[in-house]
Order: sequence, then C-alpha cells, then structure tokens
Amino acid sequence: MVKLNFHDIQGFVARGYNFPHASFLLAEILDRQAGREFVRHTAGRVTSAERWQQGKPPSTLNIGFTWHGLRKLGLPDATLLSFPDEFYQGMRARNRILGDIGRNDPANWEPVWKENVHVWLAVYAQTPDELATRCGETIGLMRETAGARLLYTQPAAAIKIGGQPTSKEHFGYTDGFGNPDYEGVERDTIPGQGKLTADGKWAPLATGEFILGYPDEARELPACPVPYLLGINGTYMAYRKLHQNVARFRVYLDEKGKQYAGGKEKLAAKFVGRWQDGTPLELSPDRADPALVRNQSRNTNFTYGQDQDGARCPLGSHIRRANPRDAFGFNGDLVNRRRIMRRGMPYGDYTPEDQLASDQDEHGIVFMALGASLFRQFEFVQQQWISYGNDARLGSDKDLLVGCHSGGGDKFVVQGAADAGNAPFICGGLPDFVEMRGGDYFFLPSLTALRLIADGAVDPR
Amino acid sequence: MANQNGNMYGLTILSPIIDDPKSKVSHDSALRLYLQNMPRHAYSPFTKVSGTHFCRLVVMDDVVFVGSPAAEEHLKSKYLVFNSNLYGGLDAYLAEMARKIPDVVDDIWSHCVGYPGVADPSAFAAYMKKCQIETTFFFADVNDKTVEQTLRALQMKVEFTAFIERNQGASPAGLLREFAAFWERVRELPLPPAGVKDLAKSHAAIA
Repeated sequence: MVKLNFHDIQGFVARGYNFPHASFLLAEILDRQAGREFVRHTAGRVTSAERWQQGKPPSTLNIGFTWHGLRKLGLPDATLLSFPDEFYQGMRARNRILGDIGRNDPANWEPVWKENVHVWLAVYAQTPDELATRCGETIGLMRETAGARLLYTQPAAAIKIGGQPTSKEHFGYTDGFGNPDYEGVERDTIPGQGKLTADGKWAPLATGEFILGYPDEARELPACPVPYLLGINGTYMAYRKLHQNVARFRVYLDEKGKQYAGGKEKLAAKFVGRWQDGTPLELSPDRADPALVRNQSRNTNFTYGQDQDGARCPLGSHIRRANPRDAFGFNGDLVNRRRIMRRGMPYGDYTPEDQLASDQDEHGIVFMALGASLFRQFEFVQQQWISYGNDARLGSDKDLLVGCHSGGGDKFVVQGAADAGNAPFICGGLPDFVEMRGGDYFFLPSLTALRLIADGAVDPR
Repeated sequence: MANQNGNMYGLTILSPIIDDPKSKVSHDSALRLYLQNMPRHAYSPFTKVSGTHFCRLVVMDDVVFVGSPAAEEHLKSKYLVFNSNLYGGLDAYLAEMARKIPDVVDDIWSHCVGYPGVADPSAFAAYMKKCQIETTFFFADVNDKTVEQTLRALQMKVEFTAFIERNQGASPAGLLREFAAFWERVRELPLPPAGVKDLAKSHAAIA
C-alpha cells in the first residue's frame, strides 16, 4: 500500500479545496537569483496536503511553473531536457492536437498568453477579504524580492444562487461530481470513482497515475524529470480558461427543446449525461432525483455496459466521453490510463435562468486537469474523446459542449429508443458553446522540489 | 488464403532494390527521395487505381533492434515494400496499376532488380507476383466493400443524417414526400473523390 507524504505534496494536488473564492495569478520570473528568492519565500507559504486539524484555513496558496519558468529559474539543462515533449512545447504549440483551431486558435487567445507566463499561483479563500489579503501578500513578495512580475489576475468564484455558493457552472449544470480515487488518499473509496475490478466493484487507481514517483497502472514509475527528487510528489496540470456563451446555449436549448419529444430539461440532460441538478441519466433516465444526487455512494456509481446503444445516456454525452468507464468493453481497462483529476472553478457573474444572458460578458470556467502524463491523459481525452468520436462509434462528432465547432455543421445525436418520450433526436448546426481563451501546461512540484529550485540545488547527476 | 478476407486482398510485395556501386546516386537513396516527395492522401497517384483502399511504400534496410542486447539482421538486399489493401483480385489490380499510373509505377520499380516495365502488362504482373510474399494478417476495416461503395456510404451517411435532422417530427405524408425528393437528389450526386483533402493539407503543413 502506498503511503503518501502529505507534508510534501501540494494541497491543491491532493484535493479540491471547495472554497468559494479563488484567484489565479500568472507571473513572469524576472531574474534567476531574485526569482529563486521569490520561490523560496513562496515555498514557505505554500499549502501542503496535510490534514487540517483545526478545520479549513482562511486561505490557501499553491504554485506551478511552465517549462520556460523552470528554465528562467536556472534549472540545469540535463534536467530541463528530461521533461516530456508536451510540457516543453506548451499548450499553444499543441493546439492541433487539442483541437484549439479556428476561433480557438492561440492567435485569438487573451494577450497574456503571448507574454512570458512562467508561474501560476492559485489562491483560494473563504471570503473575498481573505482572498484579497492573500493575493496582496503574494504580489507583495514579487515586488519585495524583485523576482517576479504579475502579468494577469484571473478571479474565480463559486456561483451564488440565493446568496449561497453552489457547485453550478454557468450553463446551469451542477459540476464537479467525483474525481478518480487513487491509492494513498486518506478517504474511503467511493463507488464509481476509481477503476472497475473483474467482479464489478470499484478499486482505487494506482498512485502513479496522478502523482509522480509512484507506480502507475502499468506498474511502472511514470516518466519523471531528473533528479527523481525533483519529480516525486509533483504532478502536471493543464490550465484552460473556457469562456461560456450562455445566451447562445440557452437559445439553442430552447429551440431544440421544443422539437425534442422528451422536452427541454431532458434534452439538457442528454447533452451532459446528468440532469442539471446532477442526477446521472444512467441511473435515472426519466427524471431528476435530488436524493440520488445527495447520496455519495450512488451519484457516481454507474456503468454503461447495459446501455451499449446509448438509449439512456447518449454515446456522445459529455460525461460519457470524458470518462467512458466500461463503455468500450474490456471491463473498463481501456480508460484506467486516461483519467484526469479535475479542479474546475467558474469565473464571472451568473445570469439567472429568467434573465437575458449575454455572450459578451466575462463568464466561463477555469478548467484545470491534473495527471502524471499530460500526453497520455489530458491530451488523449481532449483529442480522441472530446474532439473526435471514433472510439464511441460516432465518426467525427465532437463533444457538444466543449468541442470546437467552428465552421458549423457538427451534430449531436440522442440515440434514444422506441418509446415516445425517449425518441431518437439529432441536434444539428452546433455553434461554439465554449470558447478557449488561453492556457498552458504547468509542473506543480513537491515542497521539497520547490526548496531545491529556490536553492539552485537541482542536481541531475 | 491469408492474402484474402472476403473480397479484400492484403497485398505484400518485396522487390529487391538494385545495388550498383557505380551509380551516381544509389538506387535506394533515389527511391527514398522519390517516395518522400510523392503526393499523398487525396493527391496520391494511387487514388487513380480504383481498387486501393490503403497502400504504403517503404524502403526497407537492415533490421535493427534498439534494445538490450542490441541486434542487427542483415538482409540479402535492400527492399522496396509495397503494401496495399485492395478490393477484388490481384490480376485485375495489377492490370489497373499498369494502365492508370504507368509512369509512376515505372519511376518507382525501375530502381528494383529485374523489373521489366509496364509496357508489357503480363511481364509486369509476373514480376510483381514473383516478388509477392504471403501477408498472413492485415487490417480489413471496410466491411468487404469496394472503394466506390465505401465513399458512397460515407456520403450517404452525411446526407441521410442531415435529412433526418431536417425532417424529424414531420408527418408521415410529409416525410414520404421529402424522402422521395431527397432520394432523387442524392442518387444523382457525383461520387466524392478518394482520399481525405484535409489530411493532405495537414501533411503539407507538417512537411
């Protein structure tokens, strides 16, 4: 059994904090020595994955680096050359693989992504005041050390409805159900969140799928930069700012919902594979079921083996694409090395259902996916399962919600069945509901690795 | 008959490449240069040979295992490998190659030992068969259909999906009327060209 050192792993890597407020700071390292000073002071303030004995702290701080950031901090060439290709190249250069083309082409991203984004800092907080304080301290450190310059602040916050923070995203879906269980995490295995076993039960995935330095599902150590000490307890992250065209989504859903036999709410559920309150379609194909949503041992506990034709949950629905479970046979073995750990957070103001939404307003989701291999996990899911449909027998169809449909003509198929309330339906002429506004790949080191970087003590020999 | 699966034929031909120390550019180098500049995908000359589902040309050198312990296998010659997943019989396919793309075939195989040229199609066919080896196992993903049937099926899938999308929810009489008009239109559609244009473009971008 893997025993993880929670003092050494960044808290953001080990768990979703579930705080209502956040800011993501993007910064440039200005100078090698001063930059290391900034990292040294920051390392002392970074939130580890230690258990919170006194309850949640008022705020947290975590840090990650692009490849160019690590180079600017003076890591030795032998170390820099040992990172994976995709991390070295960065998200912009991988745009054809990721389907970031047309409107989503890097040329159209926010200007900050053309600058030297070296560092990503995540601040989460209980209140806006605590958020401002923690961000202020962190930006203050940049100035005091003269090691870094703030390029961009991305605010984010849980959407409040009736004054209470929720786990809704802007299209109205409850988000963030489940993340992969893996060995070493201090919690009970939740059915539906790890990998399927031969007897149909769920077991945690190997630690090395998500954290460097431990055996993965192939019983190998994941490719790790040298020295090993730099990699162990660290991981990689894909960061994507995704603008949501809320008005466009609502108009489209209204229009198609009128034509669809099952009605608008059921069509919305078919798009995603969950009713908007989060009820899995696979478990409750005809109605939302709040009791099921609240039940942690049931709300991610399902498979697609008995729904090969997609009659309940469409083959191309968002959650079935992103995590096909056993849909491709082999008892789910084909997905175990393609899982991602998600840390999403909405940004911008929420427009209630009964008010007129605008596509120009600044609102969307900061999507973050963690894993030991960006190439094998995040990029594969994005390229093969989100931006393509062959594995799901859907030809070239893309994910309705986050696929890049520039050029129009894309479609989404509700397979349905013979009964009138669940008739097959084709949604054609898909517009871009989500637009990519920019992002990059980051390495999130352990606390030990942060101190090695700060001291210039990374030694690849 | 491991070379055949239904009407699909998995052709493998290994032709020894001429080893002539006196030639200015070695035949294997000249052949590599020719092959790497040959248009691909929608622009490949092999799209003119109607039985071709997929084909590939490779110059095979000595075989090396890059591992531990390293190993080399020395062949008697360098070979041109021609793989083709084709529909129908071998004789008809070789005859069509000789008829439709004689210049390309001559340009390629003239670097090979004993190649008689396509001017005499029966000599060409005999040569190719002499160089043929048994395929044993090949990728057959086209449901035993001709290239034309496959292109038509893909075209029809797109058209019919669009038809359903336009007419879902229509009355039975309206649907029948629309379908009759649809059928009249699609049966007259020209055959889409073989090969994928976008892939050809992206290949050009990489090159």
